[in-house]
Amino acid sequence: MSDAPTPRTRVRRLPELGVYDRAQVEAIVDEALYCHLAWVADDGDPRVIPTIHARVGDTLYVHGSSASSTLLAIKAGLPVAVAITIVDGIRFARSMFEHSMNYRTVVVFGIAQEVTDPDELSRVFTAITEQVAPGRSADARPPTPDEIRQTTIVKIPLDECSAKVSEGFPEESDEDLALDVWAGILPLRIAPGEPLDDPLLRPDIPRPAYVTAWHRDDVR
Amino acid sequence: MPAMSQPVSERTRIHRHPERGAHDMATVHRVLDEALTCTVAWVDDEGRPRALPTIQARIGEILYLHGSRAARAWKAVAAGAEVCVVATVIDELVLARTSPHHSMNYRSAVVYGRAREVTEPDELRAAARAITRHVLPGRENDAAEPRDKDWRETLILAMPIEEASAKVRTGPPQDDEADMGLDVWAGTLPLRTVPGKPTPSPDLRAGIAAPPYLEEFRRP
Repeated sequence: MSDAPTPRTRVRRLPELGVYDRAQVEAIVDEALYCHLAWVADDGDPRVIPTIHARVGDTLYVHGSSASSTLLAIKAGLPVAVAITIVDGIRFARSMFEHSMNYRTVVVFGIAQEVTDPDELSRVFTAITEQVAPGRSADARPPTPDEIRQTTIVKIPLDECSAKVSEGFPEESDEDLALDVWAGILPLRIAPGEPLDDPLLRPDIPRPAYVTAWHRDDVR
Repeated sequence: MPAMSQPVSERTRIHRHPERGAHDMATVHRVLDEALTCTVAWVDDEGRPRALPTIQARIGEILYLHGSRAARAWKAVAAGAEVCVVATVIDELVLARTSPHHSMNYRSAVVYGRAREVTEPDELRAAARAITRHVLPGRENDAAEPRDKDWRETLILAMPIEEASAKVRTGPPQDDEADMGLDVWAGTLPLRTVPGKPTPSPDLRAGIAAPPYLEEFRRP
């Protein structure tokens, strides 16, 4: 485990869970389907929205159209916090208090800048499409220059970030171990159902393998 | 407007895709109930946005959050900082014929306001039960309730669900007319969070069977 990059990314609560390892941060960012993007609005109060993201190297790209009025107003960049959560399981302890989840979270702090370079935007569209459905970007029509201009993408350097990983079985006091209550882990994963064809789909177009075989994580 | 709908404040107004906005309480409540986790955002002493994932539970019009007394974050929130809570449920991936029309069918709820620390024993007990039930209904009747000493480490915050809004996308992809002839599959892929096989704790006493409610986990 390496050192926390800054005081605000230091994990103070249950510090043994803090992970500052780059590869682990990247793996969590890459696996998550969405993120929560927080910023401070003009009135000084916090705002937060769900949105989709993708990582390219050391940069986190976030679809910012929902926040665009604020983001576009601040050309110098907007301080943001991005929270990503993946729940791997529910940890059932004998006592209510020791219940928890097995989870992996990442929080990224930084200055969000709007992406304006057309080539970079084009790469980001591919990355975001791949984030949601790997294999899809080879099929779907890429964006036109007009479509690119209509979308707000912001980027945040993955400099100030930390992960928190909680795994394993509940740890309980001897007193609670004696209780007549089941304890253990219920693993959770995201599973796809049967794909639904667009009602307007041309009947000669089959479902691609990356849709029928879509999966997220394997059970950890 | 439905009778249950909320007054729209400037910050709960849905600016982007207003057709996806929902201000009725039933939708807000359902999202808060179905999302396993949420993200709490606030503004720190230096005016920067902060975000922290946690578990929520709802009792009527009150949203309960729990956190560690040791964490700065929760101290600030308990002291009455303005917060913004977001919870998100992903229902389906939306695969359009063109990359920029890719989306997700999702439901998200945002609640704005200030939280108070819960100190009254009956409300603490009710909140602990609600948070346990939020994760898996049935469990709150098995697990041992918190003892007085537990509340020295954990605090419970209560927040009125008054200034809140939801955002919902449903349905097939919305490609432009000109793209309907493309040779690309389009449709949606439903996603669920599904449980795996329960794994008992290594220190589980012999003779305690896995409770039936473990098999009833369904999200969404």
